[in-house]
Amino acid sequence: MIVVNLDVMMAKRKISAGELADKIGITPANLSILKNNKAKAIRFSTLEQVCKVLNCQPGDLLEYRKGEQEDE
Amino acid sequence: MWNPSKSVRLSSICTKIAIVLVICAAFAMPNLIPTYVNYTGKDPEIIHSLLLTVYACVLPGMLSLICLGRLLSNIRREEVFIEKNVKLLRVLSWCSFVVSAILFISGFYYILFVIIAVCAAFLGLILRVIKNVFEQAIVIKRENDFTI
Repeated sequence: MIVVNLDVMMAKRKISAGELADKIGITPANLSILKNNKAKAIRFSTLEQVCKVLNCQPGDLLEYRKGEQEDE
Repeated sequence: MWNPSKSVRLSSICTKIAIVLVICAAFAMPNLIPTYVNYTGKDPEIIHSLLLTVYACVLPGMLSLICLGRLLSNIRREEVFIEKNVKLLRVLSWCSFVVSAILFISGFYYILFVIIAVCAAFLGLILRVIKNVFEQAIVIKRENDFTI
């Protein structure tokens, strides 16, 4: 499964969820979905904004873990 | 100007009128059926069978109308692709199949019922397909909702 390590990057950059949501232009509720690995997909435009704000690469945010069950 | 909101409201009003008509018809049936039998010159012995068929169809018929009313009120609240609507469509299709079965059995004494039974079965089938479409639409909507 694909794991979103957004919380790790946010901790590294010392940025709060509210501030990040504001800078990306998405709602705090949607950011929470992304942060808690409940998202089914992420748009390239959203990923681009997250990378831009956190100054990182998509690979820093997304991780593939083999053999783990996907959440339904 | 005509719009979807007015269309849903009209459907809702029609459903409520249909509920009232079914209740009135249920009370009037003991008088209406003998009148119909006398008028058409049929065998008076079928009066009891006709009454039995009609009253057996009242319950699934009322349940269908109640489900339709709920479905329409959900649509008015802009809750279209939800599990509740799938359940309502499932109940609606089963009601159609039950009515179809009752009318098919009644076809043994009154052949006209077989035609209506076929129509009811076809309606049930259409409702089942719509229910399947709704089920898939819910999956797609959920995926869209969780695409950030």
